[in-house]
Amino acid sequence: MSATVYPTDPNTRSDTIGARRTLVRESARRSLARRRLVGRIAVGSCVVAVAISLAPLIALVAYTTSRGIRAISWGFVTHIPTPPGIPGGGISSAIVGSVIIVGLAAVIAVPVGTMCALFLVERRGRLAGALRFGADVLTGVPSIALGIFAYAVLIGPGSLIGHFSGIAGSFALAVLMLPIIIRASEAAMRSVPRDLWEAGLALGVRRSRVVRSVVLRGALPGLVTGNLLAVARAVGETAPLLFTVLGASLLVTNPLQPMGALSLTIYSNANQPFPAAQQIAWGTAFVLLVLVLVLSIVARLVSARLNRQAR
Amino acid sequence: MSTTLLEEVPPPRLTPVEGVKEGLQRRWARPGGRAYAVLRWSGATVFAVIVLGLVVSLLASASQAFGHSGLSFLWSGTYNATKDVYPTGIYIIGTLVTTAVAIIVAVPIGVGTAAFLSELAPTWLAAPLSVLIDLIAAVPSIVVGLWGLLVLSPAFAHHVEPFLKKIPVLEWFFHGLAYGPSMLLAGTVLAVMILPTIVALSRTALSSVATEDREAARALGATRWQVVRTAVIPSARTGIEAAVILAMGRALGETIAVALVIGNNNALPHSLLAPGATLGSAIINNFGEANPGLDKSSIIGLVVVLLAITALVNVGGQLLLRRRLRGQGAVT
Repeated sequence: MSATVYPTDPNTRSDTIGARRTLVRESARRSLARRRLVGRIAVGSCVVAVAISLAPLIALVAYTTSRGIRAISWGFVTHIPTPPGIPGGGISSAIVGSVIIVGLAAVIAVPVGTMCALFLVERRGRLAGALRFGADVLTGVPSIALGIFAYAVLIGPGSLIGHFSGIAGSFALAVLMLPIIIRASEAAMRSVPRDLWEAGLALGVRRSRVVRSVVLRGALPGLVTGNLLAVARAVGETAPLLFTVLGASLLVTNPLQPMGALSLTIYSNANQPFPAAQQIAWGTAFVLLVLVLVLSIVARLVSARLNRQAR
Repeated sequence: MSTTLLEEVPPPRLTPVEGVKEGLQRRWARPGGRAYAVLRWSGATVFAVIVLGLVVSLLASASQAFGHSGLSFLWSGTYNATKDVYPTGIYIIGTLVTTAVAIIVAVPIGVGTAAFLSELAPTWLAAPLSVLIDLIAAVPSIVVGLWGLLVLSPAFAHHVEPFLKKIPVLEWFFHGLAYGPSMLLAGTVLAVMILPTIVALSRTALSSVATEDREAARALGATRWQVVRTAVIPSARTGIEAAVILAMGRALGETIAVALVIGNNNALPHSLLAPGATLGSAIINNFGEANPGLDKSSIIGLVVVLLAITALVNVGGQLLLRRRLRGQGAVT
């Protein structure tokens, strides 16, 4: 910048210019120092925020793990619960119940959700917009409301089943999973390039066939991830099961009967003042935590792996 | 390669586009195409029926209670068999207070964490930490509640709450006995639960700000923090607001963890250290024992009130999020 030539010889410039320049330079230096200080304080408080937010989250996982590992054994996962006061016993009824309830929920929610996502992908307009909005709002509905809904439709007086049963819990969980599956599947299907659809259709391939072998295959990583995350979310839920599944301490495999579930076992044992009950609660919490984390991690790995293959 | 093929085919009367269209329509009429359409439509129909059924069945089940006490249900609830009143107003206040505590605790920490992960931390640190927080977001609420009840609650009773009572000005909020289970503890547990949500969503909002904005601010001589404060956060503001609102929706609707740690007391709380009740905890604690009829109906009325509050908050959040996406030119 040769345009900004200032007299460099101190003798030739007036005192005022020199003084002003010193002043400007000085205040710029001070401003930078101040800005740096403010920046350092702000960045420092962000680091503190990270520490504060990680501390309880990690403490929670670590504590559950350390208490849970002490509680579990082979017998803990293979035996049914013993009556209070009698040592031993396990949570096999809860594990079996959770697996059946969530499995049935997935059997309901995955096809319906996938079809609904296809509908949203294929169709524009007010109806699709309304469904999408419905899915978004349903995502935010408190899970207890879904449980009470299932109770009102399937269990309460004048309803379809009329008594507490595993399948009612599956229905509540399916409603919980639906919006997650719909939104994730829609996003995954939209990520399949439109050209591929059109190429398939231009070849004269039947539309259902294009969807099956181009769209669904191209969207597979996203579909698997979305569905697994929905399952992971459903496994950990308690509120939708409380007034539908009821809980059972015997090994029940008939979904038309009241069943046990991991989250219900934790809930009923947490409130008791006995160390033995709390021990069971921690052990169950650990099993549940492992289950949920494994599902989430597998979901991420699947999507990463299939993404890499697709490239 | 296909030129010869094209020449062999006699020129159709239809233009190519119309020909393709007609061909597609013919395909469409085939059974396979029809079955696919039926499948899609039935998926959409089942979903629509479920969403409408949820609203209709809850309203229908609650109608007895609403009919019995009218608008006053929103404050004093209705009678159960033993002439006990469900104090809806107290539950609403409890819900709002615990959510407010959670938001006040979690938002500064969460947004600070998001800013650090998205803007300030080197990638080798930010990437694993982000994955860690995303994974922790999957921890079931019952596990958080168990931890809150058996670990956090004694710690609050012996250390945190006595300490808060000694702070001069804040002492007004924190007076009374330090039991452990309290509105404050419930709010804190909620804060732990919504923290990953806030971090994940605000991080997405922050990192979707254009790199050019950051570089421009940097070129003007802004320090690293000034870039974040003047260029990144203002652009990501709507996204962060939406994150906070969606987290608020989650805190309002959380029931099981709150029911474990709030102490379940149907009285107007005089301080944050007092045990209280929220809509969610009241539903959980009373639904099982409620008698059929008016009693159950009024608890389903509480569900409807809770549903209305969370739906309001969530719709607000969704609209905000959509406005942000449209502002960036993305298609929703």
